[in-house]
Amino acid sequence: MSLLNDISTNLQIGKAKVVKELVEQAIAEKIPAKQILEEGLLSGMSVVGEKFKNNEIFVPEVLVAARAMNMGAQLLKPLLAEAGVEASGKVCIGTVKGDLHDIGKNLVKMMLEGKGLEVVDLGTDVSPETFVQTAIDQGCQIICCSALLTTTMGVMADVVKEAERLGVRDKVKIMIGGAPVTDAYCKQIGADAYTADAASAADVAIEYCKGA
Amino acid sequence: MPILKITTEGGATERHFEGAPLLSEVAALVETPCGGKGVCLKCRVRASGAVSAPTRSELDAFNEAELSGGARLACQTRLLGDAEVSFEKDRALRNIETLGEVPPFIPRPMDGRLAVCVDIGTTTVALCVVSLETCEVLSTASEKNPQAIVAADVIGRIEKALNGESGRLKSLIEESIARLTDEAQAKAGLGPEDIDRYVITGNTTMLYLLTGRSPKTLSHAPFDADCLFDMWVKNAYLPACFSAFVGADIVCAVLASGMCERTETSLLIDIGTNGEIALWHRGTLYCCATAAGPAFEGGGICAGTGSIAGAIDSVRAVDGKLEATTIQGERACGICGSGVLDATAALLSLDLLDETGSLCEDQHLRDGIFITQADIRAVQLAKGAIAAGIKTLCSHVGVEFEKIAALFIAGGFGKYLNLKSAVKIGMIPPELKERAIVLGNAALTGAALLSLDKENLPRSRELVKKAVTVPLGGSSEFANNFMELMMLEEM
Repeated sequence: MSLLNDISTNLQIGKAKVVKELVEQAIAEKIPAKQILEEGLLSGMSVVGEKFKNNEIFVPEVLVAARAMNMGAQLLKPLLAEAGVEASGKVCIGTVKGDLHDIGKNLVKMMLEGKGLEVVDLGTDVSPETFVQTAIDQGCQIICCSALLTTTMGVMADVVKEAERLGVRDKVKIMIGGAPVTDAYCKQIGADAYTADAASAADVAIEYCKGA
Repeated sequence: MPILKITTEGGATERHFEGAPLLSEVAALVETPCGGKGVCLKCRVRASGAVSAPTRSELDAFNEAELSGGARLACQTRLLGDAEVSFEKDRALRNIETLGEVPPFIPRPMDGRLAVCVDIGTTTVALCVVSLETCEVLSTASEKNPQAIVAADVIGRIEKALNGESGRLKSLIEESIARLTDEAQAKAGLGPEDIDRYVITGNTTMLYLLTGRSPKTLSHAPFDADCLFDMWVKNAYLPACFSAFVGADIVCAVLASGMCERTETSLLIDIGTNGEIALWHRGTLYCCATAAGPAFEGGGICAGTGSIAGAIDSVRAVDGKLEATTIQGERACGICGSGVLDATAALLSLDLLDETGSLCEDQHLRDGIFITQADIRAVQLAKGAIAAGIKTLCSHVGVEFEKIAALFIAGGFGKYLNLKSAVKIGMIPPELKERAIVLGNAALTGAALLSLDKENLPRSRELVKKAVTVPLGGSSEFANNFMELMMLEEM
C-alpha cells in the first residue's frame, strides 16, 4: 500500500512532519492502527536498524528517524489501546549502578520500540534489585543492561545472581551491552546474550519474545 | 637507551625510547587520519639510522629516488636503535589561533621572569609564554594532544589509565608541554631559558592524568572527584576544578569572561570536545558538560584541522556557489572548526543539505578540500549536544533565553566564529546572536590571567564555591532535547 510505504520511506529519512501528516491521513482513511504501525512505522525502523548494523548510517540518522517514528507513534497510541493491540513483548532497560552514561542505552530503547516492543526505561545508576524486581512486577521477558565503564561492568554479574536468587532466571532473558562489554564476559557471568549495537540488540530481543 | 633525533624547522630535539616502537609515536606525529594504516601519507618523513625495512605501503607510496633519499611513512616505520628523523612541522608550527584578547587586569604577577601557561584540552593542547616582568603574553603554540594515540576521548583515557597506561599518558602530556614550551620560546626570540612558573589548566581528567593520579573516582557514580586541585606541584600551579565533569579550564574561561563580576544572567559555552556550559544566575554558577565531540576542533572531520595557516575558516554561499577563505589566505590544507560551521550553514542555504542532515553529495570547498556526509553527521552530533545542553541547563534553572544578557563563546576553533551560521544550524538560540561575545581560547586566557594577577587565585576559589554541577547523563530531558536538536534548523 503506497501510503504506508510513504510513511516508511519518510521515516527512514527523518521527515517527522511528513510522517505525522501521512499517519493522520492513514487514520482518516480507516486503515487499522496495527497495520499503520507495522507496515508504516516499524517497517521503516527495520530498514534503519539494518543500515545501522551495517554501518551504512550512524547515530544522527537513527536519532532523526526515531524522532519521526515517535511523532507517528504518538498518534497511534490511543487507537492501538482501544483496539486492544498489545506489544510483541516487554523489556526493561537501564544503565547499571555506578554509571550515568545513557546515549547507547537510549539508542537500544529506540530500536526495541522500532520492533514493536514495549520498553520500561529504568534510567541510569540502576541496581540489580531494581532490574529484577521491575521485570517481575511489570511482566518483562527481557532485562537489558548497559555499561560504559569497566569499573561498572561487574554489576551485570550481580543482575544475573539476583535473578537466580529470586527464582526467575529461567523466566527472564538477560542481555548486556556497552563499550567494554564482550561476548566472553557474557558467557563468563551467565547472561543470555551480548550484542554489539542497538540494531542487533533489537533483533535478538524480538526473537526471544517470539520464542517466550 | 637508544635515541631518536628529531629535526624540524623549529630546531632539533632528542627522545629516548625503549624496545622497537613506531616512529610516529616517538616523534609524536599525531596526524594519522588513516589510523596508522599507511594509506593517507600524512605522516611522511625523512628517516635514517637503525630503522625497519620499508613496508609494502611505503614501497607503493614512494619512488626509487624518494626511498633512497630516506622517505618513510612514520606510521609504518619501527625504530630499532639510534636513528634520525626530519620533517616539516610547517603546519603545526605556523599555528595562530589560541589566545583571545586578554581583558584588563591589575598587574600583580607571580614571582619570576617567565611563566608558561597551558590549557590541556582533550583534543588540543595550547600554550603561551608570559613575561612576568612586562606582564605581556610573548608567544603562543599549540598541537594536538598526543594522548589521543592512547584513546580519543576522556572516558577512553580514564579506562586506559585504570588499566596500566597511567605512566604513558603522563609522559605523553609532559613531553607535549616541553615541546610546545621550546617552540613558543623560539617564537618569542628567547633561548631555552628557565621557566619560573607554570599555570596548567584543563578539564579534571586531564589534570589527573598530568599528575599521575588514579582517576578511579572519576569513573563511576557518584563521580565525586577525590581531588579538585587548586594546588602547586613544584613550580606549577593547577587551578581549582568545579567537579569531576567540569574542570579548571572552565574556571579559567569564566574568569577570563568576567561574567561573574556582573549581576546579570549570562551564559558561557565552550565549543570544545566536552562542550561545557556555565550559566550565571542570581549568584550561582550552574555548570554542565555535554560530550560534544571534537568536530569544532577539526576532529572527526575528513579534512579537519586545527586553526592553522591554510585551514578553511569561513564559507559563504555567493550566487549559488560556495566561497571559502583560509587562514592567512594560503592554499587550503583542511577545514577548521569555524569553517565546518560555516560550510554547514552555507550548504543549508543552497539547499544542498536538508534539515535532517542529508547531504546530496560530497561538496568541494576549494583547492581539492571537500566536506562530506560523514562530516555533517559529526557536526550534528556536536551541535546537538551543545544545543541540548543549553536548552536543558536553562530549563533546569528556569531561565528563558530572552533573559540572558550575554553569551560568551569559548573554544579553540579560532578567534572567528560566524554567529549567523551558529544560529542557522541550530547551535545557539537566535535570541542570543546579538548578545554573543566570542572569546577564543578563554581557558588559556584565564590561565594567563592567573599568572599576571595573583588575586585571581582566591577569585577562582570563590567561583568554585558559587558553582553547582548539573549532571546531564541520565537526564531524560537532555536525551529528548539531544534527539530533537539533531536537526539542522534554528532552535
